[in-house]
Amino acid sequence: MSGYTGKILFVDLTQEKIVERDTVKYMEFLGGRGIATKIIYEFGSDTLVFMTGPLTGFISSGSRMDVVSFQNMLVGSNVGGEFPTFLKFAGYDGIVIIGRSEKPAILQIDNDGISLESGESLWGKDAFETIDLLTHGQRDIKVAAIGRGGEKGIKTAGIMFSHRNLASRGGLGAIMGSKNLKAVIIHTTNGLEPYNPPELMKVITDIQRSITKSGEFMRFKDWHVNFVPTILKLKMPYFGDYGRTWKDAEEAAMNAREFFEKHTSKRASCFSCPLRCWAIVNYEGEYPINLCQGTFPAIAFTLKVKDPELAWKIYLKMQREGLDIMSTSAVIAYASRLGKVKLGSKEILDFIDKIVNREGEGDIFADGIKNAEEHFGVPAVYVKGGMESWSSDIRPFVGSALISEVADSGGVNRALYGFPEFYYYIKKEQAEKMAEIFVGEKNAAYPWDYSDAKVKFAVMWENMHIIADSLGVCVIALLTTPLELWSRAYYAITGNRITPSDLIHYAEKIRTLERVVNIEYGGVKDEISPRLFKGVDGLDREKLERMKKKYYELRGWNEKGIPMNETLERYDLR
Amino acid sequence: MPYLIVHEDKCVGCHTCEMVCSLSHEGVINLNLSRIHVVGYKGEKFPIMCLQCEDAPCELICPMEAIYKEGDIRYVDGEKCIRCKMCSLVCPIGGVIYDAINHKMLRCDLCGGDPQCAKYCPMDAIEVVEEVPERRKKGVRVLYGEED
Repeated sequence: MSGYTGKILFVDLTQEKIVERDTVKYMEFLGGRGIATKIIYEFGSDTLVFMTGPLTGFISSGSRMDVVSFQNMLVGSNVGGEFPTFLKFAGYDGIVIIGRSEKPAILQIDNDGISLESGESLWGKDAFETIDLLTHGQRDIKVAAIGRGGEKGIKTAGIMFSHRNLASRGGLGAIMGSKNLKAVIIHTTNGLEPYNPPELMKVITDIQRSITKSGEFMRFKDWHVNFVPTILKLKMPYFGDYGRTWKDAEEAAMNAREFFEKHTSKRASCFSCPLRCWAIVNYEGEYPINLCQGTFPAIAFTLKVKDPELAWKIYLKMQREGLDIMSTSAVIAYASRLGKVKLGSKEILDFIDKIVNREGEGDIFADGIKNAEEHFGVPAVYVKGGMESWSSDIRPFVGSALISEVADSGGVNRALYGFPEFYYYIKKEQAEKMAEIFVGEKNAAYPWDYSDAKVKFAVMWENMHIIADSLGVCVIALLTTPLELWSRAYYAITGNRITPSDLIHYAEKIRTLERVVNIEYGGVKDEISPRLFKGVDGLDREKLERMKKKYYELRGWNEKGIPMNETLERYDLR
Repeated sequence: MPYLIVHEDKCVGCHTCEMVCSLSHEGVINLNLSRIHVVGYKGEKFPIMCLQCEDAPCELICPMEAIYKEGDIRYVDGEKCIRCKMCSLVCPIGGVIYDAINHKMLRCDLCGGDPQCAKYCPMDAIEVVEEVPERRKKGVRVLYGEED
């Protein structure tokens, strides 16, 4: 069948055994996030899955891949760039890594075959260096690699796919590091064949038109200049160790604005995407580096760095080490409260080294914020499973607080990108309009709203994420374009008909399976840290509890959050 | 006849031109079967393709006289072509490539007058013009060492 390559690569590092399995067995879970979850369910928690979707490589903004594993709960992150497309070009829908290599290893996939090679000469090198050494700048070679953060099992480490794309959330880099797998390298000159090329050309035209007419497309045009001040206006950031205010915030935002205005040479996109949400920054480097506008504000605000040059150095440092900027910044901000590091200063760079090298107390912070809280006994802020908060304060945004409690796989980033409550403070009318279209009540757009409508809205939004993550499409693009068009794309690519309501059915099914996996292997409670309920800015525990119950009900789970028999039956999950 | 010019400052490196080129010509998505190529230079990307030169070295070097013009567009006669790849070798910008899968030479044919890459480029980085701009003519002469 077109769309899917039909094969998933299973690599057992312990036994150095590589086998191919048919994708068709997993197709009832659509692709990407869905299939990855099913594989974790089958193979247990010691599994790292890279999984593309049927649309990956075929269509505008269809270049995403999901990376999923299991720590104490299901953790997932998705990534764009070019690796996902090339994985499919090489003939695989996904890669499943089980076991652990005795010595540092590299998985190599090329036109001639697949092999496990020694990665010893690369062990100890940072992510940028590793990628440079493996690709030599060749356009046919794509790499997934960990930096020193992943090697040392730093809980906030991600997996780097280029000098910009990082599957950051959930500590996936530490999992890859624990398997002694330094990198996956793909070298291919092959391609993909859609079911109906002329029809696909037509759909690409329509999807492109839809994306380029969207507000996102307009916004990203000069987002590298505006993003830091805008995020401040949205009231999203938190400052230092989860403070609500910082007197220098405005100044820091304007400094960052000026810096990027001066040093950005142009904008850049992932494979096949018109959105160009990256900016290429040319500042004191041998070559320019891509800026992720989603994570940089964590450095300016969470780490209270007023000097943009220092902020940029910290950004690069974390990228080089392969660390999730949101989580690592949260850990450092917490450490500052304990007097271990001074925010806004160069000390941060040394402190990152301490964490990455597990030097002295750095060893404690390397295991994440929850671990540090247990060690030092000072309350920290974290979300479900002890994961650090994302770069925005979740207290003023009730929808994000709910998802932080219930999401099994990486929190808000996996459920609520672009949720209208986030832009309410600058685009009130548009946010209200969206809420009215989706749930018929405009109060669901109010950040402070604890209503059932808000829960319903969040569930629908989460479904959109699951559809995007499973089709292999970027969620930013998916949200700009009606599901009908994505269904048409699915048909042109695979030859199978699918309706928007089928897609929603898949999303609900996959979400329930995620829950089953968590209950089966982990059983982490749907809780966020008690500190988030304290003080005048705190969340209302009772009201949030009621929302949680409503969320369970809408998902067809019982009041403890366990999927009910009839729900399992409805989705063939028994 | 149309010509393609590239505004490299607008390119965001999304490879859509390569996707639609291989899709419209070969019915597949394969960057190595695309007649246009997005290349990177120090982190920035832009596309290159056959420039339809005036005194084209590819045409001059071809031992089989397999490269012929129809209107202003050059094509390769697959019957005459012996796949010696000399055209690929002499092209100073990499405008002719060898398709190892189908064993033939690939070059931009301007999609017979309606270039798909320009149509699909979301950033309008590829433009269709009727006359070759003087600037580019000069560029080509510099490339061939005819001018400083």
